[in-house]
Amino acid sequence: MQRSTGLLLVTVIGLAATACGSGESASPSAGGAGAVTITVACQPAKSAPKERKAWDDDVATFTKNHPGVTVKSTDQQPCFDPKTFGPKLAGGQMETVFVVPVTNYADVVGKGQALDITPYTSTIKNWDDLRPDVRELVTKDGKVYGVPNVHYGVGLVYNRALFTKAGLDPNRPPATWAEVREAAKKIAALGQGYVGYGEYSGGNTGGWHFTQAIYGRGGSILTPDNTKAAFNSPEGKAVLQTLHDMRWVDDSMGDKLLVGWESLMMAMGSGKVGMMLGAPDVVTDVVNKFRGNVADYGITGFPEAKASLSGGEAFMINPKATPEEAKAGLAWLDFRFNTVGKGRFDFARGKALGNPVGVPDNDVYGDSPTGKAIQTDRVKHASLPVENYEPYVRAAATVPPKAEPVHAQELYAILDVPMSGVLSREDASIDQLLADAETKANSLLAAKG
Amino acid sequence: MTSATDVRASARRRPGRARRPRPIHVQFRTIVSPHQLNSRWGRRIYWLVLAAVIVLFTLAFVFPLYWMVTGAMKTPEEIAEMPPSLFPADPTADAFVEAWDLFDIGTLLANTVYYALGAWLFSMAVDVTAAYALSKLRPVFGNVILGAMLATLMIPPMVILIPLYVTIVDLGLLNNPWGLWLPAAANGFNIFLLKRFFDSISRELIEAAQIDGAGPVRVLWSVVLPVSRPILGVVSILTIVTAFKDFVLPLLVMTDSEKMTISVGLSQTAGAVTQNHVMGGLVIAGIPMIIVFFIFQRHIMAGLTAGSIKG
Amino acid sequence: MAIVRRNLTAYGFLCAALACFAVFAWYPMVREFVLSFQKTDLINPPEWVGLDNFTAAVQDPAFGQAWLNTVEFTLLALLCGYAVPFVVALVLNELRHARAYLRFVVYLPVMLPPIVAVLLFRWFYDPGPGLFNQVLGAVGLPPLAWLDSSSTALISLVLVSTWMNMGSATLIYLAALQNIPPELYEAAELDGAGILKRIRHVTIPQTRLILLLMLMLQIVATMQVFIEPYMLTGGGPENATVSVAYLMYQFAFSQMNYGQAGALGMMLMLALLVFAALQLRTTREDAA
Repeated sequence: MQRSTGLLLVTVIGLAATACGSGESASPSAGGAGAVTITVACQPAKSAPKERKAWDDDVATFTKNHPGVTVKSTDQQPCFDPKTFGPKLAGGQMETVFVVPVTNYADVVGKGQALDITPYTSTIKNWDDLRPDVRELVTKDGKVYGVPNVHYGVGLVYNRALFTKAGLDPNRPPATWAEVREAAKKIAALGQGYVGYGEYSGGNTGGWHFTQAIYGRGGSILTPDNTKAAFNSPEGKAVLQTLHDMRWVDDSMGDKLLVGWESLMMAMGSGKVGMMLGAPDVVTDVVNKFRGNVADYGITGFPEAKASLSGGEAFMINPKATPEEAKAGLAWLDFRFNTVGKGRFDFARGKALGNPVGVPDNDVYGDSPTGKAIQTDRVKHASLPVENYEPYVRAAATVPPKAEPVHAQELYAILDVPMSGVLSREDASIDQLLADAETKANSLLAAKG
Repeated sequence: MTSATDVRASARRRPGRARRPRPIHVQFRTIVSPHQLNSRWGRRIYWLVLAAVIVLFTLAFVFPLYWMVTGAMKTPEEIAEMPPSLFPADPTADAFVEAWDLFDIGTLLANTVYYALGAWLFSMAVDVTAAYALSKLRPVFGNVILGAMLATLMIPPMVILIPLYVTIVDLGLLNNPWGLWLPAAANGFNIFLLKRFFDSISRELIEAAQIDGAGPVRVLWSVVLPVSRPILGVVSILTIVTAFKDFVLPLLVMTDSEKMTISVGLSQTAGAVTQNHVMGGLVIAGIPMIIVFFIFQRHIMAGLTAGSIKG
Repeated sequence: MAIVRRNLTAYGFLCAALACFAVFAWYPMVREFVLSFQKTDLINPPEWVGLDNFTAAVQDPAFGQAWLNTVEFTLLALLCGYAVPFVVALVLNELRHARAYLRFVVYLPVMLPPIVAVLLFRWFYDPGPGLFNQVLGAVGLPPLAWLDSSSTALISLVLVSTWMNMGSATLIYLAALQNIPPELYEAAELDGAGILKRIRHVTIPQTRLILLLMLMLQIVATMQVFIEPYMLTGGGPENATVSVAYLMYQFAFSQMNYGQAGALGMMLMLALLVFAALQLRTTREDAA
């Protein structure tokens, strides 16, 4: 009897020990000076073996140059997942260096989930060459919380091959919404399964693209003081009316609702969607992750653009990191992400790997010397027709960027409703949908204070 | 009881004298009487209904699976064809191989099997000992404890998902198999089934062993467990199948791509691969449970009816 | 002394289970209660906020819709998942052939991981090359929007749910039907009762207990619907498929507001406890 009780106790204690042990191992201990272990996010997935190898090579080179630093990579896809973000941080599983999309900057910084890296900015390579407006996005009350990594504005991504097939000139992409509608009609007329213009309607992506569209038309989601909804406006109505007419009058948007980011990307990659709103990174992703044919895709400026929703991401440092870990993490960022000709800017290697080099998918350095050096390098090693993207580059230079609204995710969830409304119901009342969404948004803003 | 057997026996005898067509053999009496059934119209209707039910069931439950398997054997172009082809024009198993790589199914499957077997071993150890204690050792407050354990059956898992998850986070069990195994062992239904069966084991059997000087562990191991094989089988299968099928908790607890279960892995990647690859992945994910069903069909059905008596 | 020893042994055997139940079953119920009065994102220390989480949950734009959807889903699922399996079981019980095959086949989807069924149906529902619209087209009917219209999305989810779950209900009813003493039917027949009357006066009263039990179990099970909206519709179109469980998940993991999710969980728990109490009462009355 004694033995059996003891046995069970041992089991229970053993369990408790396992539990504690795992908790500790997750937060790397800052051992002796120099010996630092950091975990870094965004290693490419196993399904992209070449990119993964390039990353692993970079890690090897980096650790060789920084003796004492051990780098562990995580390959969660996508690297920022709002679902696991908070829990990972709370559970001590968060990487030392993690990525945050611009949509979530305010949330993460506001909740104290990122380390204040102001003391280190002087050591960050090319810090002063980063676009000031982009640096401003990661700054709160004079303190810096992140290293901007990617920045871009929204344009119109289109399939050049489909344009040609439909008798349209791929070198003269639509510049107005009327032209978009015409082009969409012609592409949809190519036959069963062809979609002229693809658009999201759920999983918060509908609201996100509504925001892109209303900004482009010169409208706003919120009033300047962020206290009231401002999307029930002529611009908001125009966005929905255009979508409604394309869907139900022209029948050029296909008959399937697209929910979640992958859905439209997948459709775009299959080569049967003519146009969609998107930044240049859409081209990169469609080619790398959704098997699109790299030569087929072009991007142009947003039609009749008045402003452009900024997109992008920044790297931030775990608030629980020790100074040594933070420094090692920033050194890694310098090496992999911020050095001309190295890491991700090693365009020669990228070309050899078959990456779509030449897409102007990153404007984080703007016109600064670093930015220009990168652009020269990119054009030099371009693996695809850079001219496909020139209309976008030209247009983007003139369109002012506009940041996301506060409480973006909650507002996007509300705005999914009017988007899915016009795309799923021919008799949808746009005024009603917008008025309802406005009421909901206002009470949300009131509740959030 | 005697009358029932009589009825059965007479039912078996009666149709012997029917006309040429072979009578429908009736083993037990149901709503329709054997006499009605073997009347001229009764037989016609019976065969008609039987055929209709077989066709309907095959269409409703087998055809979707057929569509899934053949879908995986089509090319991405063929699978998007309208109208679709009933048979793959050029059946190929490539999609299975490709899906295996794309979803990293080897890792996912190994993880899932590991979690399911671990959950099984651990919850058997915990629940059998507990049920034995409650049934045969009868400690003070035993009934209170049993009641509290059974009360958890009233609270559906989804309702306490958030606090359960927060608890797992607090214990630092994210991406740790114990984060699935420990909650799996807190299974009131297993305890209920086991205890009820242990209750039916005769006292004499146990007392005989005790007279021979066996302690509680020996009694459990060499007297109770051997006679409890049927219920152990049922509980084992239930636990393994539940662990294999589970979705929400692994979605939250096993977030590392190296540690995901097959269900979660499929749900994360399904949006980014072509439809034939999705189907290939689904077929592979479905096969282990179908095999289990083939082998353990009797246990599973027994578990089901045992389940219906729970209250 | 013997009593003490027996109790010590017993608790020795029980302690692992007690620990598991305490931490992963009983404590979470308490924790939910505590959580619902706190504001916490799991990173910063929780704050007590009184009833704020409850008011915030109630004021959420999708709150009312989520409850309506959940109730509607439950009612539809009862129609499909409760009545249909009973009728199916009645018919199956009359059949003398292919019983093993039919039983096997109806239970097959239950064995599949839910994600398999859900992703399979996502493809069937595709408005273009999806199986359902192709079948409709083949028999000359117009296509349906399935998941893509607020009027059909919810029933489409019920369909998936029924397909993958009805096997167990069917087999449970079948087992209950086989336990009905044959002489009751004989007696009813002698009294001149036709088939329908036999069902009404023999079958249903004899299976009443199981029917009631299953009703309650089914309600409790379907009130938790999550994976279907999570995988198939994201709650759309126009919030037509947001369920309470899905909204709770959104509160916690999209808005990182665990307290508000806990508050909604409390409300769901209360609603389900009412059903559980009803279930207990009916079972007791019946047993008595």
